[in-house]
Formats: sequence, structure tokens, C-alpha cells
Amino acid sequence: MLSIVVLYSFVYLFLMSFSLFLFIFVRRLIIQSRERKDRRIYADMEADLLEVLTAANGRREAFAFARRYGSSPRVLKRLLVAYREALAGRSLEPLKTIFETTIRARCLRELASPWLATRLQNVRLFVDFSRPEEAVHLVKLLHDKPVVRLAALNALTGIASRETLAHIFDLFEQDPAPNLYAYSNIFFTLGPRIEPFVRESLTRTLPVEKTGLLVEIAGRLLLRGLYPDVLRFAQHPEKELRIRAARALGRLLVPGSVKTLTALAADASWEVQAQAIRSLGSLEDWRTIPVLVKALFSPHWHVRYNAGYGLAAFGLVGILQLQEVSRQKEDRYAADMAAMVLDTVILAGGTA
Amino acid sequence: MSVLHVLDTGLGTLILAYFLLINTFYFLFNILSLAGILRYRRMVTFVRFGEIFRMPIVKPVSVIVPAFNEEQGIIDSVRSLLSLRYPVFEVIVVNDGSTDATLARLTEAFDLRLSKSVFRKSLPTLPLRGIYRSAIQPKLVVIDKVNGKKADAMNAGLNISRYPLFCAVDADSILEKDALLKVVRPFLEDPGRTIGAGGIIRLSNGCDVRGGQVVRVGIPRNWIARFQILEYLRAFLGGRMGMAMMRSTLIVSGAFGVFRKDIAMACGGYRAASITEDMDLVVRMQKLMHEQKKPYRIQFIPDPICWTEAPEKLKDLSRQRSRWHRGLVQTLVHFRGMLFNPRYGVAGLFAMPFYALFEMAGPFIECLGYALFASHVVLGRVNYPFAVTFFFVAVFYGTFVSLLAILLEELSEHRYPRPRDIFILTAAGIAENLFYRQYLAVVRAWAYVDFVRGKNEWGAMEKRGFAKAGQAP
Repeated sequence: MLSIVVLYSFVYLFLMSFSLFLFIFVRRLIIQSRERKDRRIYADMEADLLEVLTAANGRREAFAFARRYGSSPRVLKRLLVAYREALAGRSLEPLKTIFETTIRARCLRELASPWLATRLQNVRLFVDFSRPEEAVHLVKLLHDKPVVRLAALNALTGIASRETLAHIFDLFEQDPAPNLYAYSNIFFTLGPRIEPFVRESLTRTLPVEKTGLLVEIAGRLLLRGLYPDVLRFAQHPEKELRIRAARALGRLLVPGSVKTLTALAADASWEVQAQAIRSLGSLEDWRTIPVLVKALFSPHWHVRYNAGYGLAAFGLVGILQLQEVSRQKEDRYAADMAAMVLDTVILAGGTA
Repeated sequence: MSVLHVLDTGLGTLILAYFLLINTFYFLFNILSLAGILRYRRMVTFVRFGEIFRMPIVKPVSVIVPAFNEEQGIIDSVRSLLSLRYPVFEVIVVNDGSTDATLARLTEAFDLRLSKSVFRKSLPTLPLRGIYRSAIQPKLVVIDKVNGKKADAMNAGLNISRYPLFCAVDADSILEKDALLKVVRPFLEDPGRTIGAGGIIRLSNGCDVRGGQVVRVGIPRNWIARFQILEYLRAFLGGRMGMAMMRSTLIVSGAFGVFRKDIAMACGGYRAASITEDMDLVVRMQKLMHEQKKPYRIQFIPDPICWTEAPEKLKDLSRQRSRWHRGLVQTLVHFRGMLFNPRYGVAGLFAMPFYALFEMAGPFIECLGYALFASHVVLGRVNYPFAVTFFFVAVFYGTFVSLLAILLEELSEHRYPRPRDIFILTAAGIAENLFYRQYLAVVRAWAYVDFVRGKNEWGAMEKRGFAKAGQAP
């Protein structure tokens, strides 16, 4: 009985293996032939697309191109995606026309696909080819799976109106598991126009990491109108928010922040001290030099490191201070840090 | 006589069950990988990996390269790393007390100057002899230190590194230009949970390497290297992809893996006494995350490629595999508390037992199977049902799993361009059953003996350099 089972299994597995081998081999041949065909179509399309892009009446040529190649959507998508990388601004218009004429309807249909990967692929096509009227379709995806949600957010940033911005901030405030890294990139891409939304969100009670991100963005986008809002967080009981406030103040470069930052440089937490010292360094205000020199003698490595580079940013005056510290013998750690910063500055100068 | 017969039958059944189970597991991993690779391909369609360059905030990466006596390939390797497509990264080469001209070659090629860098010694390491910076490559830092082991060199690199992610790369490896962009993607998509990610390791033997990049992929003439190509495909595309889909990754290859530095530091960095520091770190990171009850993910990405040189001589191969196996045994023994422990989730209930039963104990059972078969032949008492079944589950089923791995390669990266390559790989899948598998089973079984005897040597292999790899010896 066992022998029969084994024999049958053996024959079965042999046939399976042989079929698998044939499948791999035949598939390879078919793919190679398809790739050759696709390459030929791609080359033809590319030559015609270059003519469309340089034509006097680009729109009419784009329609003609779409009619000619609409039947090869797979290669057409590849071409459009490759060219959108290379083009920007008004030169993207012919591509958008081709996209709208040939692929858009299918993409919109597939945005409602039950398959995550299909939705994702199609929403990604909208990142560069979408128009403001498509926002309504993309907003629907803001409650999809995280990866689709982020792709939809990315697409929306390209066609940001007041309404879409409101949607983005609503989603940010309500998102139970936000990808803060992605949100920060999206906010940064949107630029200073988000100032009123950031101000409004800062007045709400949000989790620390979300408020922290908004404070950070205020600094990164140099939203000086939010200076009073940021200042509020310098006294916040949460260490994380004090760190973010110190960092934002160092970027906003408002002269009045020296006092606040000097106070933060004496904070109980060394992380806050380190950030405040770094920000004081970036202010490049002569009054901060004694604070930075004192910080070079801090027991905390990061504080000393930021103080060293802060002093180096002052140019010759800072370098003279660093030389002095590097020569003293009382605190070896301060001397080593000063020597390292001087060494790096000299090496970087040499490289340049 | 009847006792011997019972023993013989019992052993035979155990051996058959082992082969049947291990090949079935790998078959299932392959099926999972198949689904995973198809899904991954669809998920990254229209992804512009280059868009990270336009992102205002990126996650910078410290690439750490421990190097011991790597004068043959170090310059190619560092050049390939410096030419990676990634917005912000640094390359830290740790010369781990090389006795050849590794440091001299680096100094000459990159105009290294002794630097006065000071750093936080967060992880204990053997003394450093000097930190060098390049006058022509601002991204390059070279550390010269007293010889420890790879783990000690990695810890020295971690101490110097500045960025929140670090990438461990072997000095005899070459990363493809966009490998870092691709492998870092999980850290951008799911930054809270992703603690590690690895890409696929492929063999540079038989390929043309120029300017630190693989310019033509080919199959080597050397059969030992050919067998290893298939083994790597099975291990990475079949095994690791499947294990990653089951959230059971225990190994991210030390030749190319990216990790979150804060988690690695919280674990105390690499364990200096460890033989396979890569597996040890991954297991410790998982242990920590489970103990802190934090969700985490370790991802395997099938397309960022790292090319490495495989040994083409049996002596080198046996040293390498012996070290790997001793490392596996050491890690499993060290973390035996995680075995079958529900506190450690899938890692404790599935991954660790799988490695213990099939990878650690496997070579003994394999050797026993071959010995039993040989004894039957010698005694003239060949048990034909056993022999046929053994052939069926050990050889034929194994070849079928190898074919599946070739299919996975075709579906994922399709790197071997000629249809002839499929024939060669299939032939390797059949031919490896004639001697190669048995040889490795003996090497791995003997490695266990070495482990018990406390043998702790690294097992260096003779390097031919990338340009020469794959050419006939």
C-alpha cells in the first residue's frame, strides 16, 4: 500500500517538477518576446512624445498622440511615469492631457478596487497627473489603509486648495496612528500656506507627538507669524515639547528669543539644554558667546558638541574661543571637544 | 535481531519524516514568498524611489563596514558605497586590526587624514588606534582599531555613527546603487514599528564588476559557486521572504541589513562573544521589543541587492558553513529561554523551534539518513521501500523546492538574463544532491562538535577580488 502511495506521489511530483520547469522556461521566452515588443512600442512612443512636447500646439498633438497609443496602456503608463520625473510645471500639461484622454477613466474606476495594490497603483498615478476637480475622489481614500491614505495625501498636496488643506489637517488631528514622518514631509511640501491651519491646530488639545510636529513645522517653514504660539511651548511641562520649541526658535531666528533660549539652556533636562544651545548657536548673536563657552564645559556630550559647533558658526571669534578652550587643562572633555570641532572645521575647509 | 529491526524501522521513519517536514515547510515558505513577491511587485509599481531626494526630511543612514584583511576588494567596495543613491548618509569603515594593507590602500585611495574626533563611547569596544577622515570624500570615516571580532568592529562603528539608522555591510560586498533607497522604504512607511530590514544577497561570482558596480550578471563556471547561487535563492527568496511574511524573521544578513540605531543600542549593540553577530542582534532586538510589549516589524525586501563573493573551494566553503552553524547553535543555546515561550510571540513559538529542530538538529538527521542507507547497501539488506521513499522525499522533493526558488527569482528580479541560465540552475538543483548536500550536512554536523569543543575561530576565506570572481581558477 505504502509503495503504491509513494509511487503515485513520485509520478505526481515528477510531473509537477517537469511542468514547473516548462512553465519557468516558456514564461521566460514569452516575457522576453513581450519585452522586445514593448521596447519597440516604447521607442516609437518616445520619439512621438518628444515631438508633442516640442510642438507649437502641444494640446492638439497630445490628443493625436493619445488616439494613436491609447490601445497600449501598459507601455503608455511606463512612458508617462518616466517622463513626469523629468518634466515640471507647464511642460507637464501635454502629459496630463494624454493621461486624461487615455488612462484617467480607468484609474478612477480602479480607485474603488477591492485590491489594495490596485488602489495604491492608481492613486500614485494621480500624484502628478491630477487636477483640482479630482480631489473629491482622493479625499474618499483618506480613510483607506495607511499606505493608500499616505499616497492619497501625497496626491492631494499637488492640488492643494483651502478645502483639501482642511481635509488634510482634519485627518492629521483624527489619525489614531499617524506616520509623523510622512506628515512632516507633506506639511513641508505644502509650504507657508498652512500657517492658519497650524495655528488653529496648536490651540487644540492634541497628543504630544502631534503638537510637537506642528511646532517643528512652524520652525522648519519659518512661519514667524507663529512665534508667540511657539514661545508658549517653551514653558510646557512636557520635555519633548520644550525640545521642539527650542529647535523651532533656533530656526525662526527672532532676536527676542535669546532670553527664552538662554533660560532653556539651564533646563533640568540635558536634551532640552543641548537643543537650546544648538539654537543659540544658530542665532549667531554675540551676547550668546559666554553661554556657549560655558556649555562647552557641560558634563553632557551633546551639550558640549552643540556648543562647539555653535561657536564655530561665529567664524573667527568663535574659533579663537575654541582654541582657548582646547588649550586649557582643567577640563579634558571640553578641550577634546573644542579640538575636534576645530579639526573638523579645518578639514571641511580643506575639502571645499 | 528484532530489536535491531525495530530500531532500523524507527530511525528510517524519523529520517523520512524529517525530510518530508523540512521540504514541506520550505515548500510552504516558497508559496508564501510567491504571494509576497507578487504583492510587493504590485505595491511598488509607479513608486518613485527617487522621490526621497525631494523630501525635506529624510532618515539619514550610517553605513558601517567592518573590514579585516580586505585589501583585495576594499577600494571597490567603498567606492560602491560612496556612490549609493541616497540623500544623506555616511560610510564608516572599521579596519579591525588588519594585518595586510587594507588601511594603507584606503589612505592612498581616499587621502585619509588622522582626525581628532571625540565620541560617546556608548558601547564598550577594544581600543581605537585612530579615526581618519577623507580629504576628498566628506562622507567617509575610517576607524582603525585593535583586532576584535566583527561584532566589536560593528560596535566601534556604532559609537562613531551619527544617524538614526545604520546599515551593516560586509567589506567584501557591493551594494547596487539604489539598494539603500529601497531597503529604507519600510522605515519611512512604518517608522514606528519597523526596527530592521534586509535585502537579498546574491553572488558576484560569474559577474563582471567595474567601478564598484556589477555591470553584467552571469553564472560562474565553478559548480560549487553554482550550487551556492541556488542555495542563496532558496534561502532568501524562499526562506526569508516566507519567514518575514509569517513575522518570524530571525536573521537579517550581516552582509546587508538596516536597523534602528536606538533599538540596537538599547540591546547593548552587537554581542562581542557572538559568532554570528547578525542573527544574535536580530534575536535580541526581538526579545527586547517583546519584553517591552512594543509592536515591531522586521522586513525582508526582495529587490535591494547586495552582491557578495562566495567561496569556490570546498575548504573555504566548509569554514564558512561551519562558522554559520556554530553561530546558529550558539544563538539558539544563548536564547533558549525564548524557545516555545508564548511571551515571545511567533518568534518563540515558531521561528526559534523551527531553527532548533530543522536547522540545528537537521544535519545530524541528514547524516544519519545517509549512513543508514549506506549501511543497508554494505550489508546487502537494501530496504527498497525505504530507499525509494528516501529518494523521493530527500532528493526529488528538494529539487522541486529548488525549482520553485528559480521561479521566485524569475518573478522577482529576473537577473539571470539568458534562458540557458535556467537550464544551468536547474541542473545545479539536481546535481547538488549527488555530493554537495551530503558534504554540507557533514560539515554542519561536525560544526556542532566544534561548538561543544569551544572552537571559536572565524574561518576566513581566500579572497580573489571582484574582478577575478567567477573566472576559472
